Amino acid sequence: MPSARPTIPVEDRLFSLILALLASRIGLGKSEIFETVRGYKEQHRPGEQNLSLDRMFERDKEILRELGVPVETFEPPDDPGNNQSSRYRIPRAAFELPADVSFTPDETGLLALAARVWRQGSMSAEARRALFKLDALGVGDPDPVIGYAPRLRPADVSFAALDAAISASRAVSFDYLRPGRAEATPRQVVPLALVLYDGRWHLYAVHEESGQRRTYLLRRIVGPVTERAVVEVPDGDHGAEALAGLTSLAESQRAELLVAVGSDAALRLGSRPTARWIDASHLDLGYVDAAILADELVGFGPEIRVIAPESLKAAVVERLQRVVATHG
Amino acid sequence: MAKPRAERLLSADRLSFLIAFVPWLAARERSTVAEAARHFGVTEDLIRQTVLLVAMSGRPGEARWADPLPDEMFDIDWDAFDEHDELVLTHVLDLETAPRFSAREAAAVIAGLQYLAGLPESAGSARIAALQDKLSRGTAGTPVRVGAVSTGADPQRLARIREAAAAGHQLEFSYLNEQGQRERRTVDPLRVESADDNWYLRAWCHLRDAVRTFRLDRITDLDVTELPVTHTGDDVALSDDLFTPAGDELDVVVELPADALPLLGDFLIDAEFQELAGARVRATLRVAHVHGVKRLAARMPGIVTVIAPAEARDAVADWARAALQAYS
Repeated sequence: MPSARPTIPVEDRLFSLILALLASRIGLGKSEIFETVRGYKEQHRPGEQNLSLDRMFERDKEILRELGVPVETFEPPDDPGNNQSSRYRIPRAAFELPADVSFTPDETGLLALAARVWRQGSMSAEARRALFKLDALGVGDPDPVIGYAPRLRPADVSFAALDAAISASRAVSFDYLRPGRAEATPRQVVPLALVLYDGRWHLYAVHEESGQRRTYLLRRIVGPVTERAVVEVPDGDHGAEALAGLTSLAESQRAELLVAVGSDAALRLGSRPTARWIDASHLDLGYVDAAILADELVGFGPEIRVIAPESLKAAVVERLQRVVATHG
Repeated sequence: MAKPRAERLLSADRLSFLIAFVPWLAARERSTVAEAARHFGVTEDLIRQTVLLVAMSGRPGEARWADPLPDEMFDIDWDAFDEHDELVLTHVLDLETAPRFSAREAAAVIAGLQYLAGLPESAGSARIAALQDKLSRGTAGTPVRVGAVSTGADPQRLARIREAAAAGHQLEFSYLNEQGQRERRTVDPLRVESADDNWYLRAWCHLRDAVRTFRLDRITDLDVTELPVTHTGDDVALSDDLFTPAGDELDVVVELPADALPLLGDFLIDAEFQELAGARVRATLRVAHVHGVKRLAARMPGIVTVIAPAEARDAVADWARAALQAYS
């Protein structure tokens, strides 16, 4: 699309828009923005309907809000109800970091490390921007005693789609493979939080049909996650609620295992937060998904034997037979 | 539609950088292009482009159609910039305070903080809670609780490792290797890494005279010795891959459905693939030992089948048979 007019880069236009909206105490109307802000004024045609500028402004406002720049819309008191005369501004107090929020170098170091945890995957853009803002405080990371390179990298393909749906307050649908079933069945839910528990990502969501809050294992979501309408999402710390739910589930679902002393299984299973040793070789282990636990236990081969429950024992035996059948 | 989205992401990042960079620079009398690039972890080119953009930016002029007056614009010391790559803001319009975090940025950092709760640097959960609270107050809107994570980090082992690194002393521990043998190791700690719930120590191993990666949950009897280290994180270059090939790996061919590939995790590094009919894949994995592959194949019963070499195939079948015997 060739154009004779010079193109102003998007970030240039957005930066000028921020400066203009911050500077104006009484706010700016659309026409003032289109006539005076760089990136708009170059495309502005006096006396014409500026539909493309209107669309551009709507998009810019949305980008700014996503980036944590609060654009406030208000109607002038002398002309209420007429959205053509809406005015826009960025209230300084809502834009700037409050004066009482400051961080020590140790705290900045820890926050920066927390952001770097997400250096791969769908949250990496947010983490990178958070790092810029932490750097803006100018404290600088302290020299670490030992280097850390922690990393969360959700491998499940549905993570990015669910993460986006939660941010946009959208309901979703997906096909879900229940433990022990061969066929996936459709689910329609309002996603609330994504939770890493016991090494696996879970979705905490409102199941629309029953209205109940349920936990879904991301690994059991098959096929694409489809976004649906924007919905009202209930308030609350859903992540903490989901973690508490999973923890209490693992408290109530227990397996008793005979574990070879000093084996890999003893070390790895025994160091889990849900594990309790009954004696030197008997482990009482909490779990949230019996099918997944059975898969894991088969990986430990003769290092473990399931004592209870019967259903878990049967699941492990059936899997072991399948491994022998495919490798015999 | 793909192009505008990519452009938008890029501009969003650049804008985030702009509104973080300006307050940082405004807070110092002078800086240099090199210092700013180092501080923010960006290229010197980006710093120069950004400074030029800022120097040309301003708020809309009082007279609508006219260009802004000089005192309505940012300004820099042009001579210092052109001749010495120095950064001096001579006129600051606005943005003297760092911006707030966006809801998503704060959510990413808070989830990262929870994940790091086991680090000695986190100094217990009280500090994490206080930091979360401060971060929430520095956020535009309420942080969307996208994620909540349980930490897999073991505070005791991590504290011992940090103690050794701080003192510059070697660590000694008992390590259970993949073959199920226990060995006494003496190492110089270099870096602590993680991938989701798995935590690793990368260290200079005095037994092997090379860099090795150790799983934290396979380490027992961890002691700080009196021996000074011979290698530190500063003088040993570490690759990004956790497991550096030792050169004596074994090629193992496995077959699995293409959908299940992500389940192979770290085994995908260096693997080669061949597509088969029916959405199946044949993958050649480089493994340190057949013992590693038998645990992998058994963990995915009926999904992963080891094809070759016969030695590896037999190892899987024997492993499962030995486990089955306990139930007969």
